[in-house]
Amino acid sequence: MKPDSQPPAPAARIPQQDETALVARARAGDHAAFGALAERYAGVARRVARAVLGDPDDADDAAQDGFLSALVKLEQYDPRRPFGPWLLRIVANAATDRRRRRTVRRVEPLDPGLVAGGTRPDAATERRALSERLRQALAELPERRRIAVVLFDVEGYSHAEIAAVLGIPEGTVRSEVFHARRRLRVSLADWKGEG
Amino acid sequence: MTQEPLPFDHRPDPVLGAALRQALDPGDAAAFVAVVLARADETRAFAGSWHGVLARWARVGLGAAVLLALAGGYLVERAGATGGTPSVTEALIAPRAQAPEVEVVLASVLEP
Repeated sequence: MKPDSQPPAPAARIPQQDETALVARARAGDHAAFGALAERYAGVARRVARAVLGDPDDADDAAQDGFLSALVKLEQYDPRRPFGPWLLRIVANAATDRRRRRTVRRVEPLDPGLVAGGTRPDAATERRALSERLRQALAELPERRRIAVVLFDVEGYSHAEIAAVLGIPEGTVRSEVFHARRRLRVSLADWKGEG
Repeated sequence: MTQEPLPFDHRPDPVLGAALRQALDPGDAAAFVAVVLARADETRAFAGSWHGVLARWARVGLGAAVLLALAGGYLVERAGATGGTPSVTEALIAPRAQAPEVEVVLASVLEP
């Protein structure tokens, strides 16, 4: 099976001016403005949290915690800087905190038939199986590497922006993305080979 | 798959990106946003109630501080009135607590 090969959508890109205005309104207590920000960044925030946590419910809880934490800290946001990396850093930290606190992992066991490339009755099952395999491969990566590759290849963030999110040098981000891709591409290639 | 990527490729890989996006698909965005907004309202309501509580306490505290200051001022003034240093006039006209010694009285009479 081959996933759609469309380029990654530039995730949640809002013109800086609009974003600054929205943040200013949200800071002043405008419910709708905060809603607009939450709506635009919900996808990327949830994907980043899921890359860290694996479990979708945990990920959503962490992403929500991140949004609320950002709302509380809006006074600290520097409007001269892009909002996305600032928010995603908070979300990533919320996900990391939750993962540390989590004593019992609630990751569902993989279906052995799917993992081993068992019978594939239809395309939907194939897609699910590939997704499962990718999530598994992602879970084996160090956390920072996961976030880096998701932000780069899925969300279309630049190395510099990811460096801001992770608080690491840009060169380290390049290295993390490279290593993550190498591992994930092996999973994709294996999958193709089995098909 | 696309072409084998170069190390440190600076362009996003669309195939890997799409596969990962699918793998991490979070599902219903509207429900998620609704929960975020509901929790945001709770947070604001909580913060608002705390501000209200703090404001009420601040008013009570301010009132108590004023009362304490007035009471303190009164006590200080009273203490000053009863046990303070007498003025020169008061010292001159005040009766002596003890009668002067006889020698002192005689000496003052005998001295030219």
